[in-house]
Amino acid sequence: MDAFSSSSSSSSSSQMSTEDFMDQLKVQLAQAYAEEFMETVRGKCFDKCITKPGSSLSGGEGSCISRCVDRYVEATGIISKSLFSASMKN
Amino acid sequence: MDPSALNNPQLQQLINQEKERAMANEMIAKLTSACWDKCITGTPGSKFSSSESSCLSNCAHRYMDMSMMIVKRFQSMQ
Repeated sequence: MDAFSSSSSSSSSSQMSTEDFMDQLKVQLAQAYAEEFMETVRGKCFDKCITKPGSSLSGGEGSCISRCVDRYVEATGIISKSLFSASMKN
Repeated sequence: MDPSALNNPQLQQLINQEKERAMANEMIAKLTSACWDKCITGTPGSKFSSSESSCLSNCAHRYMDMSMMIVKRFQSMQ
């Protein structure tokens, strides 16, 4: 439980209430989801946009990355909507 | 935290809810990755073309069809 006790708020005792624990759990889970998603996007957009790595990131590569991130987020929305509508039908 | 808190129904509910969310997230992430590779063949534009977005949505639906077919196929083998 180290990861959860480290940043416990103020109180003098090391005992954490279940509510505090649950709040921290939610924060940590949200961070983990975001981190995992970013890692996927990094991989996808690196493949798409940095096809021949040069000595610095070019303007074209930069705008490709922005578009790629936006499209990947949009694609995630399209897929989850499709899955949801399909499971409603069954 | 007191270990008996693990029996707290509120915490149990959160855990079950998060388990479901994790499963759904994983499924969406896996399918998005696979369908992105299949449908977005060029460099990403500032907007999806209609064929790209319908490919993504078809891709998800066909995956569901396929998984049902696979289940049925295995069932018929028993």
